[in-house]
Amino acid sequence: MFTLSSLGIVIFQVIIIVALAPLLSGMIKKIKAFFQIRKGPSIFQPYYDIAKLMRKDSVVSENVSWIFHAAPLISFAAILTAGLLIPIYISDMPLGFAGDLIAVVYLLALARFFTALASLDAGSSFGGMGGSREMFVASMVEPALMLSIFAIALNVGSTNLSFISQAVSSMGLAAVSPYHILAFVALFIIAIAETGRIPVDNPATHLELTMIHEAMILEYSGKQLAIVELTAMMKQLLVFSLLANIFFPWGIASEINAAGIALALVVFIIKIVILGAGMALVETSTAKWRLFRLPDLLSVSLMLSFLAIVSFIIVRGV
Amino acid sequence: MEEIVFGSNIMQLLIALILVSTFMILGSTRLYSCVRAFGIQSFLLACVAGIVAFSTGKIDIYIVAFLTLAIKAALIPYIFIYIIREIKVKREIDLYVNISPSLIIGGILVVISYYLIRSINLITELSSFALSASMSLVSIGLFIMISRKKAIMQMLGILIMENGLFLGAISLTYGMPLLVELGIFFDVLIGVLIMGILIFRINKTFETIDTDMLKTLIG
Repeated sequence: MFTLSSLGIVIFQVIIIVALAPLLSGMIKKIKAFFQIRKGPSIFQPYYDIAKLMRKDSVVSENVSWIFHAAPLISFAAILTAGLLIPIYISDMPLGFAGDLIAVVYLLALARFFTALASLDAGSSFGGMGGSREMFVASMVEPALMLSIFAIALNVGSTNLSFISQAVSSMGLAAVSPYHILAFVALFIIAIAETGRIPVDNPATHLELTMIHEAMILEYSGKQLAIVELTAMMKQLLVFSLLANIFFPWGIASEINAAGIALALVVFIIKIVILGAGMALVETSTAKWRLFRLPDLLSVSLMLSFLAIVSFIIVRGV
Repeated sequence: MEEIVFGSNIMQLLIALILVSTFMILGSTRLYSCVRAFGIQSFLLACVAGIVAFSTGKIDIYIVAFLTLAIKAALIPYIFIYIIREIKVKREIDLYVNISPSLIIGGILVVISYYLIRSINLITELSSFALSASMSLVSIGLFIMISRKKAIMQMLGILIMENGLFLGAISLTYGMPLLVELGIFFDVLIGVLIMGILIFRINKTFETIDTDMLKTLIG
């Protein structure tokens, strides 16, 4: 039943997602700078950026419809709702009954759909280009994202993320199996595409030939831009916590007590930082790929998750 | 004993990684990364042989594992890199079938091999995994041979097929007699050397190692 303590968990989760997302972004930038032997901005820079944007007024084109104004809020809400379904520090999510991994995938899709709509709304050529590229990438990302988590869902026999997290964490090291690793690598490639990182998109530039996400949000400014940026960071945090808590949920709290939750939070931050370092390493060691080579990368991911499912079937002899 | 060897988690993991390395070869467009992936595949194969040797305790298989490591994981990739460097070939591979369709065909081949292997029913759970992996390696190797234009990639394809046979042999028999294995290693090494020389000759005659060009008649 929905008690006061589960309300507390939900509120705490919202606070954690919103508060940690810019920190993760800042840390990845710092680690990336370290690999490139630069000093890099402070890890708190994304907070300063958002605080500054929040104080500014928006400049909006006269030709836009209500979609332009609604899209950042809808995306923000969709991502936050997805965040309530993904275990972060406690595996038994109070709202877990409301939706499973399919709901999460489609909430991410909803956010993406509205961002793309808004990019078309202002009628600028860059916006339309960014929107079409984003949907092009998304058409390959979504099946791979589904398939890779399905490999794990098959293993534990449920698509509920809380249940998957609990089951894998109780299996301990025995959970590490071929399909586990294959699906993890597949989802890591998906995470690169979902968070718009280097072989797919470059988060650091506004170079018109290559940008995807930046092109879509080009028309936004001020408070709306702050919300859009925060949404992107939250999405990144959620994709990372999917990676961390579906595949390596060890250390996550299974019941409500202060010590367990504190430990789970520390473990969560460590896992996220390790994943972020991996991401920074990938970003530093590869170059941005041509847009039409992206299907190759994403079909590798699709194939890996497919192999994960096939090897599950072979090993289990279903 | 057999159950322990092939039922163990780590063995499954290695075999799955061997499959992944095969897909790395299918999915890359650079000669160097193909050769590197082949080296990784052979290294993993040596690990498989090492584990089999460890659990059966036969000294023969230790030697086989060591030879796999020395010849397939070190020497043959070195020869490849030497060839690529010497004939100054363009480092992108040319394809008849593009990367993404290749990957999908690879996936289909894995499924087909699984169904073929499943109809043999004499085996335990994991040796069926190893066998279907070996079967997929053989068929993917063949597919690489027919879908890539460069002679080097065809060499690589036949070596992948050989790796698949090796995996199948070791998972069925827990190591063939040492004499047979030695013969095979010698064969592979000589084969690679001869193919290497052949590639040099092709390059000298046609100024390319694109096998497509071999079809043109020259008087």
